[in-house]
Amino acid sequence: MKLALARALLRLFAVQGSYNYERMLGVGVGVAEEPLLRDLGDAKYRPAVARGAHFFNAHPYLIGLAVGAAARAEHDGASPDQVERLREALCGPLGSVGDRLVWAGWLPFLSGLTLVGIALGAGWMAVAAFLIVYNVGHVALRWWALRAGWTHGARVSVALHNPFLQRAGAVLGPAMAFTIGAALPLTTQYLAWPFEAGARITFAVVAGLAFLALRWPGGAGHLNGLRLALGLAALALVVALVWP
Amino acid sequence: MTLPVEILIALLVWGTLVGIDLVSLPQMMIARPLVAGTIAGAILGDIPTGLKLGVIFELLQYDILPVGAVRYPEYGPATVAAVATAHASAGVLGLGLGALVGLVTGLIGGITINVLRRVNSRIVHAAAAALESGDPSALVRVHVGGLLRDAARAAIVTATGLFLAWLARPLLAGALTTRGATLLAVAAIAAALAAGAAGTLRLVGRGPNLAWFAAGLGGGLLVAWLR
Amino acid sequence: MSLALYRIDDRLIHGQVVVGWGQPLHITFIVLVDDEVRSSDWEQDLYRMGVPPDMEVIFASVEEAARQMASWQTDPRVGILLVGDVNTAVSLVEHAPQVRTFNVGGVHHRAGRTERLRFVYLTDDEAAKLRQLAARGVEVTAQDVPTAPAIPVGDFT
Repeated sequence: MKLALARALLRLFAVQGSYNYERMLGVGVGVAEEPLLRDLGDAKYRPAVARGAHFFNAHPYLIGLAVGAAARAEHDGASPDQVERLREALCGPLGSVGDRLVWAGWLPFLSGLTLVGIALGAGWMAVAAFLIVYNVGHVALRWWALRAGWTHGARVSVALHNPFLQRAGAVLGPAMAFTIGAALPLTTQYLAWPFEAGARITFAVVAGLAFLALRWPGGAGHLNGLRLALGLAALALVVALVWP
Repeated sequence: MTLPVEILIALLVWGTLVGIDLVSLPQMMIARPLVAGTIAGAILGDIPTGLKLGVIFELLQYDILPVGAVRYPEYGPATVAAVATAHASAGVLGLGLGALVGLVTGLIGGITINVLRRVNSRIVHAAAAALESGDPSALVRVHVGGLLRDAARAAIVTATGLFLAWLARPLLAGALTTRGATLLAVAAIAAALAAGAAGTLRLVGRGPNLAWFAAGLGGGLLVAWLR
Repeated sequence: MSLALYRIDDRLIHGQVVVGWGQPLHITFIVLVDDEVRSSDWEQDLYRMGVPPDMEVIFASVEEAARQMASWQTDPRVGILLVGDVNTAVSLVEHAPQVRTFNVGGVHHRAGRTERLRFVYLTDDEAAKLRQLAARGVEVTAQDVPTAPAIPVGDFT
């Protein structure tokens, strides 16, 4: 079973490889679960593989919990309905926990720290440290998720009560907010450095107006960072070409 | 931009890996502009330019809500193209042209992601019978097909970005005065900063984290002042 | 304004809801209306894991929700009400006519459902029920995240 778990883990790194709107990550989840189902016996193997590939969506790093838990439930003789219900109930919570922990915690926290490091002159070493530290957490989370799912099966919520996970969630929100708060002024300074005094004033005015435009309540849905940046760059280009 | 062919190939390969990393494999965040840009800079032997463009696009990346956003720009290969552009023209002109090329590439990249997901949906829909039979080889075939299509997509986006990088200098560099180049750089970087600030505020929300954000902002301002 | 959003989403509590809608609307509680989840402890436990510690989750059956609707609607805090499918939404409106809007946030592929939008798959029966809701004066729109445009019911059913 060690080998099967290792196979499943490797496949989990590509769980989003066939991302689509009909089953979202379902096919990738089925591919990752398949090695854990091989010893179910011929009669149960194929239906279980088919179930594994049904619609699924959650945070990619935590999907191992669902893969392990569903495979364990299949081994424990859960009915097809029970397995489907378990998978459905896991989508939302695993997405939500992972989004808060990683996309709104670990990742922006370390990204903010890296921006601070670059602004203070750490250069490429800050980026190298980001890549290493981030992925220690990333790989550990994927591995833990698969193991925990496989251990607990349908009682997978026990695994999510893991105290370390709880504490990480509670600490990362404030830590993320603090580092990106600190990163903004330092990054501004870093970026404004090459400009002369006059250009810096233009820079401050344009950035302020752009920020207000993005925060404008009615702007949601129409204006985003990319459109605004493209629009401003195009405007600057026109101005620069017309009045050189 | 005239680069030795081996450098161009290295950039193309790097941009492709970065493009695959974003969604498909293995999501180790080389797709983050900070990483994509720094290593693109290292390939060109110009790490400072890589870092600078990496920071600019990292700020823009914050504008993308990490959850559920559907059509979002793809800034990884875009940053690679931006660094290649900026490397070819020194100073402020490079920054402005680089940002412009990166923004356009990011827009194109985002569109291709959505197109790929539509294509994948159709293929998964057509394979429904095989998938429902629980045939593992059919399952793996559908999945690996998706991965390969994403690799092709990432390569195309990177190649397009590098083509834009090659076009940018002869097309625009001559027409821009120093003042014009500065204006372009100022506009693009100011927009990136605004997007970063707006995006991070959305991420922080108005809950208890806002106080921590304010504390960090104060600390950052203090350090910036003292430097 | 105290229930800022009435949403049909078969993943119920997930990132789009908690972060995507929760943060811009500044919500502090979620009402999850689902008869099955209401009677399942382990599912409630799971869904509670999905929200930050300072956010309350209230589990209710359709009937309980109808009884308490008025108090949620006048709650000084801001919250989101979630149901998992079209049938529950219809049943809720029948029991609690003061629900005047429904946001279709995510109904996903399953046998018998066809694609209406990228994030909305419906059977013909479900589509008809949504149109009936709209005909009764409930404002039904599809929108997955706040930054996307709201699509009126006629355009996707």
